[in-house]
Amino acid sequence: MSDTPHTAPRGRIDWADPALSERLRLRKRRQFWLKALGLGAVGVAALMLFVLIASLVVTGYQAFRQTHATIEVNIDPFQVDPANIRGGNFDDIIETAILAYFPDVEAPGEQREIVRILSDGAEFQLRDRVLDNPELIGERVSITVPLSDPYDLLNKGLIDRTTPEENRRLKDDQIARFDTLAEAGIISQPLNTALITNADSRFPELAGLKGALVGSFYALATCFLLAFPVGIGAAIYLEEFAPKNRLSDLIEININNLAAVPSVVFGLLALAVFIGWFGLPRSAPFVGGMTLALMTLPTIIIATRAALKAVPGSIREAALGVGASRQQVVFQHVLPLAMPGILTGTIIGLAQALGETAPLLLIGMNAFITSAPETPFDSATALPTQIFIWADSPERGFVSRTSAAILVLLTFLVTMNALAIFLRSRFERRW
Amino acid sequence: MNDMRMTERARLMQDIKISARDVNVYYGATRAINDVSIDIRDKTVTAFIGPSGCGKSTFLRCFNRMNDTIESARVTGTIELDGRDIHAPDLDPVQLRARVGMVFQKPNPFPKSIYDNVAYGPKIHGLAASKADLDDIVERALRRAALWDESKDRLTASGTSLSGGQQQRLCIARAIATEPEVLLMDEPASALDPIATAQIEELIDELKENYCVVIVTHSMQQAARVSQRTAFFHLGDLVEYGDTGQIFTNPKNERTESYITGRIG
Ligand SMILES: Nc1ncnc2c1ncn2[C@@H]1O[C@H](COP(=O)(O)OP(=O)(O)O)[C@@H](O)[C@H]1O
Ligand SMILES: [Mg+2]
Repeated sequence: MSDTPHTAPRGRIDWADPALSERLRLRKRRQFWLKALGLGAVGVAALMLFVLIASLVVTGYQAFRQTHATIEVNIDPFQVDPANIRGGNFDDIIETAILAYFPDVEAPGEQREIVRILSDGAEFQLRDRVLDNPELIGERVSITVPLSDPYDLLNKGLIDRTTPEENRRLKDDQIARFDTLAEAGIISQPLNTALITNADSRFPELAGLKGALVGSFYALATCFLLAFPVGIGAAIYLEEFAPKNRLSDLIEININNLAAVPSVVFGLLALAVFIGWFGLPRSAPFVGGMTLALMTLPTIIIATRAALKAVPGSIREAALGVGASRQQVVFQHVLPLAMPGILTGTIIGLAQALGETAPLLLIGMNAFITSAPETPFDSATALPTQIFIWADSPERGFVSRTSAAILVLLTFLVTMNALAIFLRSRFERRW
Repeated sequence: MNDMRMTERARLMQDIKISARDVNVYYGATRAINDVSIDIRDKTVTAFIGPSGCGKSTFLRCFNRMNDTIESARVTGTIELDGRDIHAPDLDPVQLRARVGMVFQKPNPFPKSIYDNVAYGPKIHGLAASKADLDDIVERALRRAALWDESKDRLTASGTSLSGGQQQRLCIARAIATEPEVLLMDEPASALDPIATAQIEELIDELKENYCVVIVTHSMQQAARVSQRTAFFHLGDLVEYGDTGQIFTNPKNERTESYITGRIG
C-alpha cells in the first residue's frame, strides 16, 4: 500500500543544488528592492511634508511678532470729553505724541507721512483704553501701538535697504524717519497677540483670526451637533436593525458614494436649499456647519458601522442569552464598546470639515467682516476661508499672515488627529 | 383528546421539562434539523452528542429561541416548556431567555466588572428589589457557580481579567442569576484546559440538583461522565435517545454504534 507511486517520498531538498541557491538569491533581491521602494516612498512623503512645514514656518514666523512703538500721549480733557469719550479727538492726541519726536518738521505733508508710520488702528486702541479707564483723562500715559505694515516689514528686514530707492516701498526719507524713532528707543517687536485677539482688518498689522476662529468653532459645533447623533442613529439602524434587502443595499451604496462626492457639490446644494429655499442667512457659521454636516455624515456613518461591526458577536450572544432585548443589546453593550471607534471616526470627520474651504466659499463665508460673530447666525469667516481671503490680499503683510494662519489651522488639525490616535490606542480592546 | 391526556400523563410521570415535536430548522433553503422530537427531563443532565456539523448547537438554540436572532434561520414544529408552547404569540423570547439560560462555547463575559456581569440579567428583568437584594443574588449565583471564593474580594475587577475556566464559571453564574429552570450549555468546556474542564463538569453535576441541564459536547467521555441521558444526532437526525449508560454500552442503532466506536468522526 505505502509503496504506490503516489505516497512514496520524492527525494529531499538538496541544499547544495545551485538552482536552489540561485532561486534564493533572486528572492532576496526582490525583497531588497521591495524594501528599498517602500523606504523611498516613505522618504519622499516625509520630505514633502518637511518642505511644506518648513516653507510655512519660514514665511509665517514673522507674523507671530509685530513691530510696535511706545509713545507718550497726553490725554487732554479739552480733546476728550469725559461725558463723550467716543467722540474724543484721539487721532490728534496720537499725532501730537508722534510728532513730538520730530520737533523740526513743520510741513503738513511731511507731518502726515510721519503719522502714517503708526497703524491707523492706534487711535482706536487709545480710545478703547480710555473707555476702559476714564480716570486716565488729563493724565500722561505711555501706550504701545502697532506700526503700519511697510514699517513693520522694514523693522523685520523684509524691506531691503540696499535696493535702489525707486524699487523700494519705503523711500530714503521714510527710512530715515523710522530710524529716528528707532534711535529714540521706542520701537519694539513683541508677540503679535492681535493675530488671535483681533478680527479681520484691511490693514495687515491689525488683522487677526478671532473672527475666523469663532466662526470655525460655531460651524464645527453645529456640524458635530447635527452629524454626530444623526450619523450614529443612521449607522445603528442600518447595522443593527435594518433588514438586509435591496433597499438597504441601495442605501448603503449611496452612503458610501456620498463620502466621495466633491465638497463643492455640497456647497452648491447648501446654497440652493438652505439659503435659496429656507432663506437662512448667507455667510453664517450655522449654515456653514449644516453644510459641513452633510459632508461629515457619511464619514461618521461609515466609521460607526465599522466600529459596531468590530464588536464581537459573542458579546451580542451573551447579552441576548440572558434575555436582553435587541435595543438593550445595542445600547448597553455594543454601542459603549464601539464608542472609541465612533469618536475616532467623528474626530477625523470633524478635522476634515475644519479644513474644508469650497462649500464655505459658496455660502459666502469669505466675506470681509471686521468683528467676530456673536452668535452662529452672524456673518463670519472660517479658518480656511480666512486663509483664502488673506492669500488673495495685495498687501505684503498678508503674505506672512497667510502662512501663520495656515500654521494655526494645521495646529488644530494635528491636535484633533492626535486626539483620535490617542483615543484609538487608549481604548483599543483585545477580546 | 385521549392522545393529549396520555402525553400529559407521560410528562408528569417522567417529570418532563421540555418536549419538542417534529422540529425542523432551516438555514435559508438548507435543512439543518429534520423532524426531531424529544422529551427532556427535569433535574437531569441531557447530553447531545454527534459529529461536528450534525446540528447539535442548532437544535439546542431552539430551546431559548436564539435561532430567532439569526436572520436566515427558520424553525418549525412545536417546543413546549412545562407544557407551554414557547412559540406562542404572547410569549416574549426575552422572558423565555430569563427562564432558559445559556452558556456558550467560548467564555464570553461582558467587558464589565464581575459583579455587573452577574447582576446584568437580574437588573434588566427587574428581579432585585434593592441594592442589598441584588448583592444577595450576585453572591448566590457566584456561590452556585463555585466562583465566590475566588472572586469575592475582586467583584469590581473586569470579568475579562479572569482565567478561561473562571470566565466560563462567571458565564454560568451570569446565566443562573436570573433563576432559570433550564440551563443550555454548548460545549462549555471545549475551550478550557483539563483542570478547568474537570471543575466545570463537577459544577454541572451539582447544578442538576436544581436545574434541567442540556449540554452539547463533542467529547463522548464528557457525555458519559456528566449526563444521565444522551441524544445522538447525525446529519440533522435524532438517531438515538436514551439513558447514557445504555447508549454507550448497548446502542440500539447502527449509526450510534459506529459513532461510539469511532467509525463516524
Ligand atoms: N448561522 C448559520 N447559517 C447557515 N448555516 C448554519 C448556521 N449555523 C449552522 N449552520 C449549518 O447548520 C449545520 C449544523 O450546524 P451546528 O448546529 O453548528 O452543528 P454542531 O453544533 O453539531 O457542530 C451545519 O451544516 C452548519 O453549517
Ligand atoms: Mg456546535
